Amino acid sequence: MLDRIDKHMLKITDLHASINGTEILKGLSLEINAGEVHAIMGPNGAGKSTLASVLAGKEDYEVTSGTITFEDQDLLDLSIEERAREGLFLAFQYPVEIPGVSNVNFLKTAINEIREHKGLPALSAKDFLSLVKEKSALVDLDASLASRAVNEGFSGGEKKRNEIFQMAMLEPKLAVLDETDSGLDIDALRIVAGGVNALKSKENATLVITHYQRLLDYIIPDFVHVLYDGKIVKTGGKELALELEEKGYDWIKSAE
Amino acid sequence: MSGTLIDFCKQLEPTQLKLPSALLQAATDGVEFQHHFPTTRDESWKYTRLGRVASLSVSAIRFNQTAQPLASSEYIDIIFDNERWHCSEPIEGLHIAFAGSLDSTEWNACTLEGHVQHINALTAQGGVSIRVDDHVSLSKPIRIIHRIQDENKALILHHQLIMGRNSTAQLEVIFEGKSDGTYANVLFDFFIGPGSKLHTDMLQQATGVHYGFHTHRIYQQKDSTFALQTITSNTHFTRNDVEVFSQEEGTHTQLYGAFIGTENNHIDNHTYVHHSAPNCTSDENYKGVLSNKATGVFNGKVKVYQDAQKINAYQSNKNILLSDLATINAKPELEIYADDVKCSHGSTTGQLDQQALFFLRARGISETKATDMLIKGFMAEIVGAVKSSHIQEALQALLD
Repeated sequence: MLDRIDKHMLKITDLHASINGTEILKGLSLEINAGEVHAIMGPNGAGKSTLASVLAGKEDYEVTSGTITFEDQDLLDLSIEERAREGLFLAFQYPVEIPGVSNVNFLKTAINEIREHKGLPALSAKDFLSLVKEKSALVDLDASLASRAVNEGFSGGEKKRNEIFQMAMLEPKLAVLDETDSGLDIDALRIVAGGVNALKSKENATLVITHYQRLLDYIIPDFVHVLYDGKIVKTGGKELALELEEKGYDWIKSAE
Repeated sequence: MSGTLIDFCKQLEPTQLKLPSALLQAATDGVEFQHHFPTTRDESWKYTRLGRVASLSVSAIRFNQTAQPLASSEYIDIIFDNERWHCSEPIEGLHIAFAGSLDSTEWNACTLEGHVQHINALTAQGGVSIRVDDHVSLSKPIRIIHRIQDENKALILHHQLIMGRNSTAQLEVIFEGKSDGTYANVLFDFFIGPGSKLHTDMLQQATGVHYGFHTHRIYQQKDSTFALQTITSNTHFTRNDVEVFSQEEGTHTQLYGAFIGTENNHIDNHTYVHHSAPNCTSDENYKGVLSNKATGVFNGKVKVYQDAQKINAYQSNKNILLSDLATINAKPELEIYADDVKCSHGSTTGQLDQQALFFLRARGISETKATDMLIKGFMAEIVGAVKSSHIQEALQALLD
């Protein structure tokens, strides 16, 4: 019998992915266990957002070779919504505005679809509303924003807080934060990171994708990976992020 | 091309209504002069073919002068159901008469244009004339239900609604039925007196092979408000003509519409707003969702006459095509002869927002449900403008 500790939540092996015929990921491998926080850093164009999109199942990207297993399942075999229902969550770099669709309604549908997938009964209106109240407080999201149309007229910071609010509501096993720090001022960053930290547990894991070290002052990673030209070229502890910040990505490039 | 306009009118009964003789003459001359149904060479029928209509074999639904009584409800109901018409007891300030009982001086209509109106004038078998007194706020909404039960029938009605001064009313107009080979030609004239307000929600959902022609003409006097929400769904063939005459200062007009077409449905919305008086506003917003081989037409025209300064006229038409074979023909038009006005018009057509669809699916929502949510979101502005809870629910159900 497998030891639970050795069982990876996410295991990416030699992943190659391309968009419109251009290969972006060129043999990426990564393992994440429950309870861990991983950070992926890398220069622009290294493939950070591609990795996030491929994990979520965005159809614009084609996986040409390699495997991804998530909780013992072949992730690449699952549709976008099945991945989400299995507990994968992507916090978008650029959250989409959806006029006419209310935040609360959409979340209620999402939660109940996920619950149905797990064989759980739908949440009552009362339980749902108290959950909204509890989780929106976590990221200091005004209750009025929760009932407005998804991201419509939200500031950049509000959109990102809304992403974390959704994450809190859906309670994923693996959260992938795609450049959640981009466009955030220091206060918003603190709130967003506070939300992420509050949601951390032994059962779930977080993958933080970022360009800057700044976010990692607030979300302390167990592992830092450097993604460069479609591959992970260096892995270390949290101190690696500081070293990168100090020496810049050229340090990695020249080490190549 | 099959039957002529004269043939088409001949298979129907001559009108039971006593329109002013000048109008009847104009209609007779119009039919004779035009002779044939318009073709797609005719600008206002460019995207809507009438061949099938011309070859329809239909008989007119006739009505008794006297209405069948209806039990009291939360509505003032007027029901045209096959050969019977029913009417609730009127309430204070409201007068309802069968159109066939009016004499020629009681008709407010003063012009007739085009073959749809001409056919109506020559063959209309009924309708209602509704009057709302001055300074009345009707306590119940008026609801007119049209139902064609039998195949190969033609429902030809001419309604008028005349509002006095400073009154308010709410109206619902519903078209339903499931029979094939049917034709409806319903002409509705609205006269909104000074300071009065009328809110109208209309639901067109007759299924079967039904050809529906709906003409609405709205004459607005000083400081009056008129709002019309037209919801058309899954109808085989629908042509709506809405023409607004803003005749005096301070009017406000709102024309909203939602059209949802599937299979080989054809839904055509033509609107024409005449701003001939200054300091008026109009707001037009039509949204269409078409799937399968459905076709849609939006032709919205706003004309601002030379002396009509300080006009705010907005017009917007947005469409979503859910299949490669669905078609929309959109033509927003603006004609401005005044120099101090604010007018805008625009039309967009596209597919569902793929980014939004990905976002919803990435939160665990199935593709079908996510699509429904996006369409509902797209239509939310129109749903929100509908006051009738019955029509609002029907529209929500259509979008589910």
